[in-house]
Amino acid sequence: MKLTFKIWRQESTAVHGRFESYDLEGAGAEFTLLEALDKLNDQLVSTGKEPVAFDSDCREGICGSCGVTVDGQPHGPVANTPSCRQHLRSFPDGSTVVLEPFRSGAFPVVKDLAVDRSGLDRIIEGGGYVSLAAGTAADADAHPVSHDTAEAALDFAACIGCGACVAACPNGSANLFTGAKLMHLSLLPTTAVERGSRADGMVEAMDEEFGPCSVFGECVQVCPAGIPLTAIAGLNKEKLRAVLRGRGK
Amino acid sequence: MSTKTTEIRPGGRSTSARRHPLLSTFWCKIVMAVTGLIFSAFVLVHMFGNLKVYQGAEHFNAYAAWLRAAFEPVLPHEGLLWVLRLVLLASLTGHVVCAAILWRRARLARGPFRRRHLPLRSFTARTMPVTGLVLLFFVVFHVLDLTTGTSPAASDSFAAATTDSSHAYENLIASFQRPEVGVFYALAMIVLALHVAHGIWTAAHDLGATGRRLRATLVAASGVIALVILIGNISIPILVLLGVLQ
Repeated sequence: MKLTFKIWRQESTAVHGRFESYDLEGAGAEFTLLEALDKLNDQLVSTGKEPVAFDSDCREGICGSCGVTVDGQPHGPVANTPSCRQHLRSFPDGSTVVLEPFRSGAFPVVKDLAVDRSGLDRIIEGGGYVSLAAGTAADADAHPVSHDTAEAALDFAACIGCGACVAACPNGSANLFTGAKLMHLSLLPTTAVERGSRADGMVEAMDEEFGPCSVFGECVQVCPAGIPLTAIAGLNKEKLRAVLRGRGK
Repeated sequence: MSTKTTEIRPGGRSTSARRHPLLSTFWCKIVMAVTGLIFSAFVLVHMFGNLKVYQGAEHFNAYAAWLRAAFEPVLPHEGLLWVLRLVLLASLTGHVVCAAILWRRARLARGPFRRRHLPLRSFTARTMPVTGLVLLFFVVFHVLDLTTGTSPAASDSFAAATTDSSHAYENLIASFQRPEVGVFYALAMIVLALHVAHGIWTAAHDLGATGRRLRATLVAASGVIALVILIGNISIPILVLLGVLQ
């Protein structure tokens, strides 16, 4: 099939970017979006041009490295699917596909389609970890956790940190990302010990760089891990709990 | 392979622009949620009061007079009204100030590249600032029209309440019989329903409603409350304009 890619080219964070158009022929409908970019880059390199920079790693939707905006939609046209699992069969033959980096004030463009998502790391540094020494693996029944609770914690732990929720949000909010981590760690007995200080630290770090949530619900449409909107209520529940019980509880 | 260059657009914001505001985003959202729920409860009760218009002028005016005399002698004359007015005015100030702060922070956080062509599912969320401004204008007009009787908002025949009598029914009918005013009231109620529907659902998130059944209840309640307020209120200007209520 034949596609025209209109791709955002930007040499570095400091300079302005622009769109450039490239025609790609000979790509199959079974190609993933990133494979199409690989093929395009082969053509660019063979003609002595600079290849298009983009992030990717596992290419099976579990690492959270990839992420481009396709026709204004973070990750691409298929909902809840990362860029690496989007296929060219979504686009009619001969169509024009606009590729941009993830757009958010907190995600400065590093180069072309690659953005700096370290703002999400700074939220995790605010408290999205376990600082107590858990020792060796405990006996299976030492910490009673119901099946439903364990499943719920795992569902929220599924976040791969790709940042699509931020890019999808008209407010540039990271509530879904932060809420998923807070919910995940608050549901299990050992990690719940630091609930209060974690909520305070993560919400403070989040408010420094990201926007407020207005419950547009755009984040849950793009999230490759299927994190539900409940995570946003969970974030506020954890923060309110920390306020009502006092810091560090 | 062809290469074409299109227009230059500004780059993204740098990460150095970190914020430590006096009033955090979390607290702004809590203020908006609590004051918004106060407004929602108020407009629901207000709507039930409005329905007394269907019992006729005598009942409606008696209700208006009772509102002024309620809880006497524990409260002074018009005591309940003034308590409500002060609570609502404080809520309105908090709601509007926090909305302005959050709107600005949202635009800064998103950066220069806005999301565009969003589907209809987020229509109420996207229009919250617009519906909010329309409602702000409506509230001012409504108070000038039917509370203070200030022209040109009020009808020419507006009669103020005295200590023991009220002309609320006659004022209401005279106001709504002006076609442009009646239509404006009806449209404002549609805007109110859109704002309340998304507002209650957002407040549920701001106040931490995580339970599965609770969330199912709240999403239904936000729609039902908005719809009840809409139908109860909008029926009055429509029936006045149709000449049923006179």
